[in-house]
Amino acid sequence: MKVPTSLRITALAVAGSLALTGCISSGDSGGGGGDDDTISIGISLPLTGDYSEPGKGVQQGYEAWAAWMNENGGLLGKEVELTILDDQSSADRVAADYEKLINSDGVDLIFGPFSTRLVVPAAQVAQDYGFLFVEPAGAAPEVFTQGFDNLFYAAPAVADDHYDYLADHIEAMPPAQRPKTAAYAAMDDPFAMGTAYGLKARLEEMGVKTVVDEVYPPNTTDFSSIAAKVADSNADIMVGGTQYQDAVNLILALQQLDYQPAMAAFSTAPTNPEFPEAIGDKTEGILSPTGYTPDATYPSNKEFVEFYTAEYGDPPGEDQANAWTTGQVVAAAVEAVDCADPDPECQQQLIDWLHENEVETVVGPLTWDSEGRPQGAHMIQQYVDGKIRIVLPEDQAEAEFIAVKPPW
Amino acid sequence: MSLLLQSLVLGVLLGGLYALLAAGLTLYFGVMRVVMIAHSAFLILAAYLAWFWTTETGIDPMVSLLWTVPLFFVTGVLIQRLLISRLRPATLTMMSVLLTFAVALVIEGTLGFVFTGTQRRVQLPYGGADISIGGVNIAVVKLIAFGLAAASLLALYLLLTRTKFGQALRATIQHPEAARLVGINTERTAGYGFGLGLATAAIGGTALSLDSTIYPSLHWHWIGPLMAIIVVGGLGSIPGAAIAAMVLGVGQSLLQIPLGTTWAQTFFYIALFATLMIRPQGFFGGRLAQRF
Repeated sequence: MKVPTSLRITALAVAGSLALTGCISSGDSGGGGGDDDTISIGISLPLTGDYSEPGKGVQQGYEAWAAWMNENGGLLGKEVELTILDDQSSADRVAADYEKLINSDGVDLIFGPFSTRLVVPAAQVAQDYGFLFVEPAGAAPEVFTQGFDNLFYAAPAVADDHYDYLADHIEAMPPAQRPKTAAYAAMDDPFAMGTAYGLKARLEEMGVKTVVDEVYPPNTTDFSSIAAKVADSNADIMVGGTQYQDAVNLILALQQLDYQPAMAAFSTAPTNPEFPEAIGDKTEGILSPTGYTPDATYPSNKEFVEFYTAEYGDPPGEDQANAWTTGQVVAAAVEAVDCADPDPECQQQLIDWLHENEVETVVGPLTWDSEGRPQGAHMIQQYVDGKIRIVLPEDQAEAEFIAVKPPW
Repeated sequence: MSLLLQSLVLGVLLGGLYALLAAGLTLYFGVMRVVMIAHSAFLILAAYLAWFWTTETGIDPMVSLLWTVPLFFVTGVLIQRLLISRLRPATLTMMSVLLTFAVALVIEGTLGFVFTGTQRRVQLPYGGADISIGGVNIAVVKLIAFGLAAASLLALYLLLTRTKFGQALRATIQHPEAARLVGINTERTAGYGFGLGLATAAIGGTALSLDSTIYPSLHWHWIGPLMAIIVVGGLGSIPGAAIAAMVLGVGQSLLQIPLGTTWAQTFFYIALFATLMIRPQGFFGGRLAQRF
């Protein structure tokens, strides 16, 4: 990209004066971030390499959030300025990037990168410098078992909790109407298995008997044998810990064996626009958890969808939403504690505040445990009248929950 | 009991499909000692063509066979004449692995480029339909695939045993020099043999498209089991491949009940290792396979 010379000179002048004011303000003892009028936020993202697709999505979310903040009075009345570096999807680069952002660029705050593999090394650097570290992606269990006390995952739930609203709903049913038996089939993959086994643990607590528990490798091509086991068990609820093609193949194989469960839930696949094309008109009643939908009625979500759509032309996806959520979470802490500077004392106050408080975001209200796991759940969507709609939790519902799935 | 019976029926249907998918693979080896890694890529290509045909025209994917079978036959003849026949006979088997691996990558890349990596499935009005007989459910699509397999394998068998071309092809398989001595144009016969193998891929791929979700890299999941089938059956033997496919298909389906999916899948490879240890030429390949 070419930048006009006049703009460069202006930028240089601004940077120069900033550096000057920075020197002056660091001279006085004021703890509130000095009197400079910007808050700089350092971010490293995979803009090239393996994760460049989702990386760009996160970048759009961050930039939209900064633009929106600046249009609406900024953060603590100051302008928000993002410094985004490209880590080329490399775990070595990402650690060096955050070192640079904190040490030589002297940013006031940092936001997390994309995906588990990059989040862990980045969080380590943040931990070493005592920085608050809110991240938009990285839901795998190992993110939360490294002993980070400065990390917060800005999304509704880790994989195990995706079905919590469904489990709550089943628990609230009169015992006679609850399913008695359950069949589980999950791909041998930490995310897919996590979703199914999270629900399994809850259902078993309620006394729902597990009659089939199958795990299949990702290269499975024939699902008829798994379907035969499930159909033979005639379980009341079928839970699939699935990605995409396995869910479609399994559902067709179950239909071919005339298995008719009262409830059928599959992760990932049903929210895919290709899904109804593959299954045809037999989707009615199929359940699926979802982390984000532009249709959610959380107060800030409407603003977000409108602003984002005006800016980019398309409604935001999950990556953009999680980036925006990261911004909202950090902003909430900054406004509450009334500081935003690299000083360890300020950063610790931000961390402590987030451990104790709930934040209202575009993916719903969020709270965290001491390791940074969000304590929410994914919304549950269901195919109602041929379209996928939110049915749980009830205050977000777009359609009534179908308790007994019509035959497929 | 009903689960056992159901699994047995599913195993037979699966075995039939495996037999059709493996038939071409064993034919290439029999005719030319070519290890055709790209066979499963051609299966997926045929499945994509069937899907594309149905999406564009709304006509049943089976009708696409009318043009995919001739197209694949001609492609097969061309691949044999222009690529495979250029390899040095002494290193043909080994180099054919490399060559057809490249062909598989080209097909996979092209599919990804043209149709994107999105996973596709032909949507059929009878996709989830089934016939119930004595407590056993038989899926209509699986029955069609099985019928297609049985019909094409029978046709292939009749072609090889009852026609002059079949005799020439078998002579080429059994002893190329002797076949040339009695006046068979083994070059041309080999070309047609390769075309025939690829034509079975067109039928197999279409049968596959009826009941599976397809994506460009799917063929890597198929080539391993298919290779295991033709080695167990004896390289070059079509009846051997059919019987091995049936045994392995039923075995996989039944083992699933006590062992689960992961271990049931290893059955193919255990059968492969056992065959190589006990009877390396395969159970039906006989003298032919022993020469390698």
